[in-house]
Amino acid sequence: MNKPILGIGTGAVLGAFDGLTALFTPEAAPQIVGIVIGSTLKGAIAGVAAGVFARKVQSVPKGILFGLAVGLLLAYLVAAFPDPNGKHYYFEIMLPGSIVGALVGFATQRYGGSVAA
Amino acid sequence: MIVATRSADPVERRQAFEILVSAYWKPVYKHLRMKWNQTDEDAQDLTQAFFGRTMENAFFQGYDPAKSSFRTYLRLCLDGFASNERKAARRLKRGGGAQILSLDFESAEGELRQIEIADGVSVEERFHQEWVRSVFALAVERLRAFCDERGKTSHYRLFARYDLEEERVTYAQLAQEFTLPATDVTNYLAWARREFRRIVLEVLRELTATEREFREEARYVLGVQK
Amino acid sequence: MNVERLREALRAPDFSGTKYRLIEPLGSGGMGAVYLGEDTELGRRVAIKVMHLDDPAQEARVLASLEHPGIVPVHDSGRLPDGRVFYAMKYVEGRRLVEHRDPAPLRTFLKVCEAVAFAHSRGVVHRDLKPENIMIGSFGEALIMDWGIARWHEHPEEPGVALGTPGYMAPEQARGEPVDPRADIYALGAILRLLLPPPIPRRLEAICRRATAEAPEDRYPAVTQLAADVARYLDGQPVSAYRENLWERAGRLAARHRVALLLVLAYLLMRTVLFFFVRR
Repeated sequence: MNKPILGIGTGAVLGAFDGLTALFTPEAAPQIVGIVIGSTLKGAIAGVAAGVFARKVQSVPKGILFGLAVGLLLAYLVAAFPDPNGKHYYFEIMLPGSIVGALVGFATQRYGGSVAA
Repeated sequence: MIVATRSADPVERRQAFEILVSAYWKPVYKHLRMKWNQTDEDAQDLTQAFFGRTMENAFFQGYDPAKSSFRTYLRLCLDGFASNERKAARRLKRGGGAQILSLDFESAEGELRQIEIADGVSVEERFHQEWVRSVFALAVERLRAFCDERGKTSHYRLFARYDLEEERVTYAQLAQEFTLPATDVTNYLAWARREFRRIVLEVLRELTATEREFREEARYVLGVQK
Repeated sequence: MNVERLREALRAPDFSGTKYRLIEPLGSGGMGAVYLGEDTELGRRVAIKVMHLDDPAQEARVLASLEHPGIVPVHDSGRLPDGRVFYAMKYVEGRRLVEHRDPAPLRTFLKVCEAVAFAHSRGVVHRDLKPENIMIGSFGEALIMDWGIARWHEHPEEPGVALGTPGYMAPEQARGEPVDPRADIYALGAILRLLLPPPIPRRLEAICRRATAEAPEDRYPAVTQLAADVARYLDGQPVSAYRENLWERAGRLAARHRVALLLVLAYLLMRTVLFFFVRR
């Protein structure tokens, strides 16, 4: 499969799943729809970036590191917005977000098909 | 040659036996001395008797080229012959000392003295090595005659000096020794070696019965067995 | 009279009248001896094989029909003044597989299989495949050498002639029976086993066992299928020569997707840590 498309798909699915884990946090439950949509978008954006990167650089370790960095950056941007109580969730958003990025980076390198020139 | 030993034509048969004897008498004699521990006199008598027997009887009728080389067959015949002779102790009855062939046993004795007994080579293998030596000796003799006939004695002398003598010499030394240009040394020696190779293969053709046996014996003589 | 000296004289090739210059002997086999020589016209080094007897240049004809990066190419053939046939081949500077410490033996093996499969597709059976006959060039390329007893398998030799190398020779070949490409598959199986440091994984051992089956009909029917099984092994996929149980299948899948599995585990671990410790 085309690497950016694979990246979008994987990123969106993993992002949605990551967003759904907020259900385990009672105080986040009322905002679950917004969290899932935001998380899905975040995953999809990380996926596109990782897919484009995988087109240019063929290396699994570099792909993972790139995904990790992009995931971390996007998660930071999300975490920078506080909840209605003014509380930030840096750890809760950035740590899983970076691993989701790494997974997307890995998937685009390992399973993404070569793109015809 | 093997076929010719069975020929009805006495001239053809005699010629075939001459080649047979010249290629095999030394291996036979040395084999009798070394494997059968015969004294030099007894070994001489037995060698004569063995070749006499091969001439008299249809000795090679039993030879089948598909089963073994003639060289192996002859060695087995010789062992059978020597064993029977020993058992029956018929040396005196045989009329010891009867000379059928004119063979230079002294030279064979001289060569025997140079053989290291404990060099790990079996007596059977030594028989075959001696056979190679005899084939080479026969070919060298033919090469010498061939060169003499063609007035190429320098070619032979160069070959003998370079390939037959123990001492290793260089082409430059040969050129100096024979007062020849170095290119002539190279060319003469190449010619002599080429003829030597041709003659060795010619001798082997005479000593073998089939193409396959020839090729196997040639490989053995060249030392390039599979 | 020194017999060995005379043997040397008989074997020594005389290249006068040809464009080649002898540099040094490289080795000798049953059919011929190989020398390092120089093509004086082109100024390049070549490997020259000189047949021991006036055998026809069967090997040169076979090689000329096999143009492949994994098969040593023949440049030229001719006769020495004494009638012996010789032919000049590319001189491969490298190491024989048997001396080569290969960091990726299975990849090398696949290259060898590719060249053998190509020969088979041209109807040629090598019949003497062994590590000594495989050179690893300076760029890591694998080249198959010594096609001295190779034959077009549509024209087998008369039965009764057993040529080859024990240990790599298929049983039917050792019996002197006519052989087909499956004899090479047997040799490839033996080579594969030699290339692998023990303990050999079960699935690879099964591949070797199938390739070296006693009966030709029990072996892989084609080299491409042997190569495909090895490639599947490398890719972490199931191989046709081995039926794995559930645990082995799970283990193989885990090994194949090791990195993804580790990342998922890392994610779950992090979520667990966050759930139990950070929120509280």
